[in-house]
Amino acid sequence: MKALVLFAHPCPESFAAALHGTIVDTLNGRGWDVDDCDLNREGFDPVMSEEDRRTYHDIPENKARVSGYVDRLMAAEALILSFPVWNFGYPAILKGFFDKVFLPGVSFRLEEGKVVPNLTHIKKLVAVTTYGGTRWRAFTAGDPPRRSVTRAVWHTTRPDTMRYLALYDMNRATQEKRQAFLGKVKREMEAL
Amino acid sequence: MQVLVVYCHPRPDSFTAAVKNTVLEKLHAADAAVTVLDLYAEGFDPVMGGPENAAYLDCTLGRSHVAAHVVAIEACDTLIFVYPTWWYGLPAMLKGWLDRVLLPGSAFLMPDETHSDIRPGLTHIKRLAVFTTCGASWWLTRIIGAPGKRTILRGLRILCAPRCRTAFAAHYLMDASSPTSRAKHLKRVARKMDRFLGGPGEPQKVPA
Repeated sequence: MKALVLFAHPCPESFAAALHGTIVDTLNGRGWDVDDCDLNREGFDPVMSEEDRRTYHDIPENKARVSGYVDRLMAAEALILSFPVWNFGYPAILKGFFDKVFLPGVSFRLEEGKVVPNLTHIKKLVAVTTYGGTRWRAFTAGDPPRRSVTRAVWHTTRPDTMRYLALYDMNRATQEKRQAFLGKVKREMEAL
Repeated sequence: MQVLVVYCHPRPDSFTAAVKNTVLEKLHAADAAVTVLDLYAEGFDPVMGGPENAAYLDCTLGRSHVAAHVVAIEACDTLIFVYPTWWYGLPAMLKGWLDRVLLPGSAFLMPDETHSDIRPGLTHIKRLAVFTTCGASWWLTRIIGAPGKRTILRGLRILCAPRCRTAFAAHYLMDASSPTSRAKHLKRVARKMDRFLGGPGEPQKVPA
């Protein structure tokens, strides 16, 4: 079983990197074939260029410039998003992955004028994230990243299993709280 | 009125550019002092790198790496975003602008011994507007929960003045748009701008 892990944090010493490490190690230990995609380290360019925009709707030419990433996405049976919430959204580098790789003909296709999800080979969808603010604060803002994952990404994948694992109030999280969350992520990955 | 317009679209011939022009016409008619940040034209880099992130969390980052942008946001009382909605959210370019320019100590104040939560730093902003286009329909955008709109009109608004006035207009089903629907939308943007700025005859009126 192939799992694509999309990781979006620039610092290897960060708590986000610790979560990412737990995800990859646990999945490897459980026999998953892990494709570990560290967007910052791979130097992914999240900016949709003028040329990208012009060819956005042209299937299949639109995927020519990101075909490597498209192939990795199409091979995955599990998609794990490992990122910090910044300003109530994905870090730009992860948002750009959706902008540029979740293309027409890749994430969805048109059948008789109807939009049909095209990533249904992804059976398991997991997000592992941290918020600087409290859960209440995220709630009052409508928790945009939670909706982006559990509705927008869900919509294109229609997975059998979906988990959204979040640690809120990171700025004041104690070592115990962090360790407990790492443990929770490990257990969830073991059960995946 | 000091207005900052943050504009984000890669194509100069896009409908989003027409929306921006409508917004600018209304601002000029109201005699506003306007600064436009055209993120694509500037070649803004939306990716926060490792050292920048580490210094950000330690609150030792300063602002020199994005100085002009921080000055622009600190000087404005009206902030307007014009962009296309991609994947129900902000283009990565614009999302990265928020990530790199909304700095602790400027846009918000981090929690400390006496304050348990983040405090707003943009209370000089009395008006906040979003003008966008969506490929999806109105109802699908509602079902998904419009995360892009919420990121700005709720997430960023928390940092602005408590009674900050907002405006929002979107052209839905953009890929099925017609010259008629586009013209109609530009008129809608113009009407929204009039109300947002306090009516065409009284542009200086500050919202209660």
